Amino acid sequence: MAAITTGTDAAATRAQPRGGSIRRNLLVSRILTYIALGGAVLLILFPVYWMLITSLKLPREIYRMPSLWPQVFTLENYRILLQDKEFLLPIRNSMIVAFAVTIISVLISSFAAYSMVRFRYRFKGLIGRLILFAYLTPTSLLFIPLSILMAQLGLGNSLHGLILVYLCFSLPLSTWLLQGYFRGVPRELEEQGMIDGLTRFGALLRIVLPLSAPGIAAVSIFTFTHAWNELLLALVLTTSESVRTAPLALNYLITSDVLPWGPLMAGATLSSVPLMILYFIAQRFMVQGMTAGSVKG
Amino acid sequence: MTDQIAAAGAAGRKRWLNGNRRLSLFAYLLVLPVVLLILGLVAYPFLYAIYVSFTDRVIGNDGQWVGLRNFQYIAGTATFQSAIWNTIVIVVVTGVLKLGIGLGLALLVNQHIPGRGIFRSLLMLPWAMPAFVAFLTWRVMYQPIGGGINLILTQTGLYPHVVDWLGQRSTAMPSVIAASVWRGFPFWFISILAALQSIPNELYEAARVDGANAWQRFWNVTWPGILPVVIVTTLLSSIWTANAFEHVWLLTQGGPSDATMVFPVLAYFGMQTQRIGEAAAVSVAMLPVLAILVIFATSLMQKDDE
Repeated sequence: MAAITTGTDAAATRAQPRGGSIRRNLLVSRILTYIALGGAVLLILFPVYWMLITSLKLPREIYRMPSLWPQVFTLENYRILLQDKEFLLPIRNSMIVAFAVTIISVLISSFAAYSMVRFRYRFKGLIGRLILFAYLTPTSLLFIPLSILMAQLGLGNSLHGLILVYLCFSLPLSTWLLQGYFRGVPRELEEQGMIDGLTRFGALLRIVLPLSAPGIAAVSIFTFTHAWNELLLALVLTTSESVRTAPLALNYLITSDVLPWGPLMAGATLSSVPLMILYFIAQRFMVQGMTAGSVKG
Repeated sequence: MTDQIAAAGAAGRKRWLNGNRRLSLFAYLLVLPVVLLILGLVAYPFLYAIYVSFTDRVIGNDGQWVGLRNFQYIAGTATFQSAIWNTIVIVVVTGVLKLGIGLGLALLVNQHIPGRGIFRSLLMLPWAMPAFVAFLTWRVMYQPIGGGINLILTQTGLYPHVVDWLGQRSTAMPSVIAASVWRGFPFWFISILAALQSIPNELYEAARVDGANAWQRFWNVTWPGILPVVIVTTLLSSIWTANAFEHVWLLTQGGPSDATMVFPVLAYFGMQTQRIGEAAAVSVAMLPVLAILVIFATSLMQKDDE
């Protein structure tokens, strides 16, 4: 696709003598661009469409006579999922875990990130490297020792344990990202606040954090998403149904049922709705952050 | 005021004032919770995993030091060998495809065309979808019964036979790769688009004045401008892809007959058999390659930082 743009651009420059052919080439390039983008968008939307449509189909329309557009729309799959499979419980568990992880990590990471950005002290380079290494250490390497550790602490198979363990990826992530946002807050504003009688901690709470609000919102959403999506650690650390998170409940739905596609896609739809909402909020915050940055720059 | 610590540090420790010392204590206190939690939840388990991989630990028995025996044992198994090969294939093929698609779409959206904002939002959609939702949806899409891909292929006449995409060796790996690329390319798209937008327009103007054609402009202006981002993205994406669990677990669980088996899934299966030492050895086995990627990535990211 890179070749398409560069190729048409080249044609446009070569044809400089005659205005009409430039315009025609530009038009051709536009059309090709829209065809490529349209095709990409179709490929992106089709799975999303299939998820939604499968969740609204009757079993016979899913399995026996599949079609692109269902003849009958039904909420039966959602009823099976919510009533028979009690899917509200895993949604609730996921909410508790993801919110707790987000609040804890964004709060203590913002202290750490502020300290790393504003002060100079011994071992700062070392701490910075530790955070970055932790950010890049995959959970696939940590899930075995973490499950042993949680069992020893008596925190296995509980939401508390899950919240604690999820800090292993959320803290490095949020500290790393927040450092970037805090660097953009000018020192002068903070110093002004301290002249006006704020303590340094007060300046952090009253000046730095509010000024980084778009960044904090974006980081919160990243952290929430990670905690909401996590499957491997939940699979290893929880055994009883009462503490299953949403991804885990859907994972067990495949292994337990024969052809559960309807309720499964209903569950997939319900578990992506909160994130899609957050995503659109995030996009607005990110645009705000970007424009604020460009005004400052 | 804020520079006092730096100034004091430069002037030598003997001249440290009480206020400065209090300030540095405050700085340490702020960073302490994160450091302690990372030491306890990442550094200690990381070292512990390496230790366990050298023992014959099983559930209920801490086990003895057995040296390299776990590694010798797993290296001889066919499953482990396919996990090595499959991990390399997934990382390289998805990496190349995500770079190509991400770069191509970023170049298209970077043009000043009406509707680019809408396209940008839509192209980011797979990234906003939880990974487990994306891969469960693809699992349904690939089904011979109830799957959207077979429906499209048979109804449009592109391919008249129903294919069990995830159930046969020849198509399982390409299917896993296609789903991973669908979910993973937006990260590349966003990163490269941001890099493209940071290239000053004057560089293109200058190249145009010098008579550079489109290919020369891409090669001499665009590519050098995005190369640092492409390198960091490649490293990060390789680390994440090599250690991803959801895509293979939710689509194929490593099957059919290990055709899509990768390290994290194999380590998880190992843990289910309760032979913890061997399971840990599986996840530690990829550490040397991982370490090279991580060290390379951190050095670039910290340089960025300063």
